[in-house]
Amino acid sequence: MSETEPAGTPLRLVFDGHALQARPGVSLLQAWIAAGLPLTENVGCMGQGVCGACRVLVRRPGERIAGTALACEMPAEEGMQVSFIDHFPARRPHAYDLSALTDSWSIPDQIDAVFPEAKHCRHCSGCDRACPKGIPVQRMVNLAAEGQVFAAAELFDACVMCNLCVAACPEHIDPAHLGQFTRRMHAALTLRPADLMQRLRQIEAGEQPIDLDAPGASPPVQT
Amino acid sequence: MTDGGMSGGIGFAAALAAWDAAAPAPARACGLKVADLLRGFHPDHRPGGMVQLVAGPNEGAPCPAQLAALLQSDSLLEDVDLAGATILDADVLVLGGGGAGCVAALAAARAGARVLMATKLRMGDGNTVMAEGGIQAAIGAEDSLQRHFEDTLRAGHFAADKALVAALVGDGPDAIRWLVREGMSFDLADERQRMGGALLRKKPGGATAARLLSYRDFTGLELMRALREAVLLQPGISVLDGHPALELLTDDRGRCGGAALQDLGQRRLVLARAGATIMATGGAGRLHLAGFPTSNHYGATADGLVLAYRAGARLREMDSFQFHPTGIAWPPHLEGTLISEAARSAGARLVNGRGERFVEELAPRDVVASAMLRELAEGRGVGRDGKLGLFLDTPSLEREQPGILAQRLQTLSHLAHRAGFDPAREPFLVRPTLHYQNGGMAIDTDGRSALPGLLAAGEVTGGLHGRNRMMGNALLELVVFGRRAGASAAADARQERPRNLGLNHLAGWRRGLLAAGLGLEAKGPLLFPPYGNVTPQDLRRHAA
Amino acid sequence: MKVLTDPALCVGADLAAWMARGGGEGLSRALAEPASIIPVLEAAGLRGLGGAGFPTHRKWSAVAAQPGPERWIICNGNEDEPGTFKDRFLLAETPHQVIEGALIAAVATGAAQVVLYVNPREAAGVLACHAAVAAWQAHPLAAAVSAAIGQALCLRVVESSGHYIGGEETGAVSSVMGGFPFPRLKPPFPFEQGVNDRPTLINNVETLAHVAHILRHGAAWYRALGLGDAAGTKLYSLSGDVLRPGLHELPMGTPLRELVFVHGGGMLAGKAFKAVFTGGPSNTLLTGADLDVALDFESVRARGSRLGTGAMIVVGEGTSILRKTAEYVAFFAANSCGQCPPCKIGTHQVSRILERLDTGAGRIGDLEALENLSHMLPGSGRCGLVDGAATVLASSLETFRAEYEAALPRG
Ligand SMILES: Cc1cc2nc3c(=O)[nH]c(=O)nc-3n(C[C@H](O)[C@H](O)[C@H](O)COP(=O)(O)OP(=O)(O)OC[C@H]3O[C@@H](n4cnc5c(N)ncnc54)[C@H](O)[C@@H]3O)c2cc1C
Ligand SMILES: Cc1cc2nc3c(=O)[nH]c(=O)nc-3n(C[C@H](O)[C@H](O)[C@H](O)COP(=O)(O)O)c2cc1C
Ligand code: SF4
Ligand code: SF4
Repeated sequence: MSETEPAGTPLRLVFDGHALQARPGVSLLQAWIAAGLPLTENVGCMGQGVCGACRVLVRRPGERIAGTALACEMPAEEGMQVSFIDHFPARRPHAYDLSALTDSWSIPDQIDAVFPEAKHCRHCSGCDRACPKGIPVQRMVNLAAEGQVFAAAELFDACVMCNLCVAACPEHIDPAHLGQFTRRMHAALTLRPADLMQRLRQIEAGEQPIDLDAPGASPPVQT
Repeated sequence: MTDGGMSGGIGFAAALAAWDAAAPAPARACGLKVADLLRGFHPDHRPGGMVQLVAGPNEGAPCPAQLAALLQSDSLLEDVDLAGATILDADVLVLGGGGAGCVAALAAARAGARVLMATKLRMGDGNTVMAEGGIQAAIGAEDSLQRHFEDTLRAGHFAADKALVAALVGDGPDAIRWLVREGMSFDLADERQRMGGALLRKKPGGATAARLLSYRDFTGLELMRALREAVLLQPGISVLDGHPALELLTDDRGRCGGAALQDLGQRRLVLARAGATIMATGGAGRLHLAGFPTSNHYGATADGLVLAYRAGARLREMDSFQFHPTGIAWPPHLEGTLISEAARSAGARLVNGRGERFVEELAPRDVVASAMLRELAEGRGVGRDGKLGLFLDTPSLEREQPGILAQRLQTLSHLAHRAGFDPAREPFLVRPTLHYQNGGMAIDTDGRSALPGLLAAGEVTGGLHGRNRMMGNALLELVVFGRRAGASAAADARQERPRNLGLNHLAGWRRGLLAAGLGLEAKGPLLFPPYGNVTPQDLRRHAA
Repeated sequence: MKVLTDPALCVGADLAAWMARGGGEGLSRALAEPASIIPVLEAAGLRGLGGAGFPTHRKWSAVAAQPGPERWIICNGNEDEPGTFKDRFLLAETPHQVIEGALIAAVATGAAQVVLYVNPREAAGVLACHAAVAAWQAHPLAAAVSAAIGQALCLRVVESSGHYIGGEETGAVSSVMGGFPFPRLKPPFPFEQGVNDRPTLINNVETLAHVAHILRHGAAWYRALGLGDAAGTKLYSLSGDVLRPGLHELPMGTPLRELVFVHGGGMLAGKAFKAVFTGGPSNTLLTGADLDVALDFESVRARGSRLGTGAMIVVGEGTSILRKTAEYVAFFAANSCGQCPPCKIGTHQVSRILERLDTGAGRIGDLEALENLSHMLPGSGRCGLVDGAATVLASSLETFRAEYEAALPRG
């Protein structure tokens, strides 16, 4: 990571109390590293944008309401003020046992029992604004509260588990976990692929033996 | 960067014109035998890249110099550091909170063990969540466990342990069912047929059958999301984020009995004592072997290998690494980031600066990567702003299969968006990126290492992939061996308990280092790559 | 001298008793000379006592100058901030002086829709207000108000949702309209677009309570009640490490030292005075060096703080400022309405860092992170909640930095 990169006027920003300069085009996370600051948390996949670890609060000059972002995805901009946001675990886990969830007729009751706060959504849209992936979180919460599990699960397809919506929700609904509840329920209760089930039956019946000494299990004889 | 001989290349504008004029790109014959191609161009074979280990269980074995320096380093701890440290007790200690760690923790807890999971970053932040392409399991009617078995061995150049591979492929279908039960979704051939339909299957590079199961192009994310919730909700598991292992604890008989963890938040040492310890610390991409960029997460610094090796566990195939053909070469701020094999599985071609195809895109990864490095070395690469790469022809793919970028290659499209161009109009500039550690800790089919009390699962292990891993076998491995190691650990923890725990292995280890003339100056593990601007010594220095 | 809290005026909802003690006189004068109301308030120097200290006559004239027949008055009795407990007293014990002030405002601004906006958690106040409103509706002065403004007066009680944020003026507007009390960005200000997008006057309960007295006794009388340049009396909510916490009506401009050591009976258990959260938990702290400050708007402002609602939370030696700040920021975090991520998540982040510092789990870099947040959070939300949290954080961090540093891990 030492190659010369195209130069440009350096950008100035303030990140967790450090005034730093960054080259145009770099992400906030790269700007932090390039400034020689220690990085031991709030980091994971380093740019793929899938782990949701590098959560930041970002305020641009002249911008009123500050926003949230993933530092590995947000390009540094002149005059930005940035603060890392810790990972907040949910205050109290919304506990359920997926394997005990066998009666799919009772799904609305189950959602209500595990996530009783969901029906109290106050429609503040804080979760929607906080989500760095642009997920319509609030809509998911409302759909889930109505028992519309599949529709809710689908909306949470791109969630990266940053839990910013959890930190954002004033009603303690824990949308990220509710979203996962619907997704997991959806998969665990309805996904039953015939090809997989067939193969499992064959294996259980001993019809899929593995021959360690088959010809294909050794290097071809060199000629 | 040091990867030799890659200068110049063809200018971006000229290359773009050549691509445009020739598309769809005509193929040029390779002209080299596979073995020669690998020997000539694969980074594992770079002259001078490997050194011989001179201390420890694998003395005499080849190993990349950077890794060898870490493997043969001294501990960050002395006996005196243990005094006054906070002590936590558990039946099973899991080191690492990626896929393998989570699966192992769940399996151990469900077998009745009290589990402590310690992870360097945050639970879930590992290579697992980044996996895009998919997970292999032989479920197709035309496919069989035997084919999966043979494909895996062949792709690994027959260096893998057959018993491990048989366990891997044999548990495959059940692992998929297990994941569904945990709430993971998979793509279906026909999305309307959730019950009784068929899973969508793709053909991974080097396979004889369509066997790759996926969830869009973020399979690892979907898997990790389900596992994270499962772990959070599983009674009997405590999770310690921000607690990397600095050293294993051993008793006076050499048995592993837990680990010394560094609490990053509080800068203090925690001794986690356990009847059985599972190493699930993942890979080594952030060592940037041979100067390559990497697709791996920030914490992939080979810590587990270093700790296990020092405590007496044997490693294997430490000289074999996988370079994924399609890491991003330009723009610089995304360098190394992976573009999933799904793009090539779907039909995207690799094109050089002259507008030619130069390799069968779905050949095994080592072959494709070597062919690419050859193009670059021989001046047929594409140069842009000082970065050298080859085209991944997404525009032709979109032309041939309209809508595919938006619907099936979302991650790729998202990356292109962040790189500032439209992948339907402009090809990606890619080049091989350090991706996977093929070797690792030697284990048996129950996940046990040769060191009593220490088990392992996931990328940290070796023996499953031989000298080259097939796409989709790593995710399968972490589920299959995570379950096996978790169950074995719970059983082991019920039996013998370690006694007189401490850093008992270090005296002998240090003697060995000195005897080999290595000295004790170099310390390990690394914990964070150098550009993280913090050394483990810094962290220890502030210790209360 | 007690004006608002004069025991003789604490007649509850009994309107006849209120009238017998001089009630109604202020309103009658207002009806007789509507054009003089606002000038009298200006001459009296009445300022808003809900926190901001905005000159009352300017708000009133702004509403009066707006076009269209529909106008609203909200009498803000939501009071929910830690350390402030004055409005609940007025509403429960002497609601008529508040209502009379609101009716004078109706005459001055031409607003027919008058809402007593009360916090449902103060049950006594809610009951008293309902009874008091019913009594006024049957009173001839109410009819006179209707006649004066040429519209039927509609006086009623609206219970707020009880959320702290419902006290913010745009939040109150939303609440009166039946919604969740979400604040919104200003401008437009409520005086231009409030309830139903119509001009709306929002005043604090205490502000309005003064109005009837001013109209009855005149501006000069009112000004003379205050000390120095300050006008009138003020309800100070005194709490914390003092011997006699409670509500103290004193001349505006009473010195802090007198409030604490005379009226408050001095410090609890002989502890030394350390600091005071002035105007509630959302302003800059004053310390022992400021004991001489006169507690009026200008004097407190000159020390870099604000009088706010007149809440004074006193802290003695031995009480941790860090702990107190952590508690208050936790209050703001819990009471953020959720609309603005910097407010909800930012205060939550501050709260977490303070909490871990306070419990001995602080981390290297925590102070820098707090300072950074105290710089970037002000003004980053729709309303002033996040500003309050950032101000108290910045102030306690600056003034009591040693306490913060002592909480960091050694190293
Ligand atoms: C970009 C990318 C795409 C991939 N795509 C695929 C694919 O499509 N199919 C496939 O099969 N495989 C794929 N792989 C490979 C596969 O994802 C990984 O090999 C596998 O997930 C590794 O799982 P793991 O649990 O062993 O390690 P990880 O998921 O990397 O987890 C390691 C954990 O250990 C922790 N750790 C590290 N050091 C320490 C320490 N000292 N103490 C405590 N904890 C520590 C880390 O914080 C982390 O939590 C891909 C890999 C990458 C990087
Ligand atoms: C978060 C917040 C909460 C508030 N709560 C109250 C309250 O409970 N009561 C009140 O009178 N004013 C409150 N205010 C102030 C009001 O917005 C408004 O300024 C005040 O009611 C105007 O009345 P005044 O001019 O008479 O002071 C609050 C302001 C903010 C920012
Ligand atoms: S839905 Fe919530 S957890 Fe998921 S990405 Fe959006 S804010 Fe993060
Ligand atoms: S943050 Fe919570 S209350 Fe607000 S809209 Fe989202 S789910 Fe509803």
